[in-house]
Amino acid sequence: MSTVAWITTRGLLGRRRFLLLLPLPILMIGVALIPRFEGVSPQQWAQPVLVAMGFITLLPIVSLIVGTGVLGAEIDDGTITHILSKPLARWKIVVPKLLVAIGVTAASAAVPFYIVGVLASGPRLGVGLIVGSTVGAVLYSTIFVALSLISRRPVLLGLVYVIIWEGLLSNLVSGTRVLSVQQYALTIADKASASDLLSGNVSFPVAVVMSIVVTVGFLALAIRKLSSFSVTGETS
Amino acid sequence: MSSPAGVIHDIGYQRYEGERLGRGDVFLALYTQSLRSVFGLGRNFKAKIFPWLVVSVVAIVGIVIMAIRAQTGEVVISYSMLPQVLGTLMVLFVAIAAPELVSRDLHSGVLPLYFSRPLRPADYALAKLAALVSAIVMVWGGGQVLVFIGAAFSVKGFTNVMNELGDAGLGVIYTALYAIVYGSIAVLVASLLKRRAVAAAAVVGTFLITAPIVGVFYILPSETAHQLAQLFNPASLVGGVGDWLFEPTSSSEELGIGPFGPLYAAVTLGLIALCVTLLIARYRKVSQS
Repeated sequence: MSTVAWITTRGLLGRRRFLLLLPLPILMIGVALIPRFEGVSPQQWAQPVLVAMGFITLLPIVSLIVGTGVLGAEIDDGTITHILSKPLARWKIVVPKLLVAIGVTAASAAVPFYIVGVLASGPRLGVGLIVGSTVGAVLYSTIFVALSLISRRPVLLGLVYVIIWEGLLSNLVSGTRVLSVQQYALTIADKASASDLLSGNVSFPVAVVMSIVVTVGFLALAIRKLSSFSVTGETS
Repeated sequence: MSSPAGVIHDIGYQRYEGERLGRGDVFLALYTQSLRSVFGLGRNFKAKIFPWLVVSVVAIVGIVIMAIRAQTGEVVISYSMLPQVLGTLMVLFVAIAAPELVSRDLHSGVLPLYFSRPLRPADYALAKLAALVSAIVMVWGGGQVLVFIGAAFSVKGFTNVMNELGDAGLGVIYTALYAIVYGSIAVLVASLLKRRAVAAAAVVGTFLITAPIVGVFYILPSETAHQLAQLFNPASLVGGVGDWLFEPTSSSEELGIGPFGPLYAAVTLGLIALCVTLLIARYRKVSQS
């Protein structure tokens, strides 16, 4: 584990801040328990819990907090200069930080997704959901890490993207589904679990190809942006 | 009193001889300054982009409703529906504005400076909350006023205008209820987090994650569970109060709240009281550390 990755992990989880990652997964499991013990068939409750709560809310929000935290926090308070002034290639800074973000996001999403999947149908669905949520974590984290290098206010842009694009448009307008991370993750989870509880709206090859394109594209963008990063003073 | 450990030397600065303003004036100054900063007034251009974007979206929606009404006479969205229709925008607005108001002060550690004045912790918390609530009422209530202006010129007869004014007034009061619920939740969540970015995400998370709970309760077999489902999300909670107040006829519908209208009102008031109490307690604790 490189030093950059080690520092980033400690910065993310070292203080009480990591407690922030707990309420959303706990709530998701808790909500799944209610219909489970009321005897409602999983056909009915899997959709609101897994898709509306998991893929639309938990995954992007956790990714946003973690993804903008690994680089954005340091840019915000100016301590990024300490790392930038070391004789390290810029990609060696971006890649470990991104990997830490993906790891933390994927871990905190995988646990509730697996438990809810097991509650709904069985371990097969649970494993499928882990695959899907990990793909989602990779995509969202890459996008948000890149975003924190593109803009000084990454969270504002990220929230608008999550709420308007992923939350509203990709569920209402069918055309934007082809460009929606949530739909890729859902489709891949559907394919991996072979369950009839999930239904992807884009075809599997499209989801895989677009996932790779988005990840590589935003990673390249992030490295390029950090290579030409200029330290500016406090704005607002 | 122990013996003084040091001496403050008089190095010749001019003394302030004028009147010292009290607690009320400090409160008012803090409120005004906070309200200005929500809209980015007195700050740079970047801070103005988002709030004025929201203002223009609400204004455009208001003008469109006004135009449709003037042309066809059809009421597309009633006054009380407007804050609900633009509810997602309101979540975004409080998520950006509340951390701007409270998290910055926590992050830069200037709170001891505030509390060295006659200002009390509760005053600080309430001034910030009041500023956010007023800002929401100004924007969304402003949209309703736009619709009213259009309606007032298109209906005929003085009594009709007065009826319209009554509806619009109720609409603005309903907006204020939205503003207080959303504002107190957002300021409370933001006051717990120092980093603006994290606070904004946490506020949105609070609002979004509770929405699917409502959906889960709808699929439970019991009728009572359906009628109580909307209690679990701030947006649908206030929506339920609105149903009770404005559309008593819809209570028989599938998504209705049944006979639980007063319960919705009580829960709403309880939620506001809880958030405000916790917020004040939070600043009591901050002021002592």
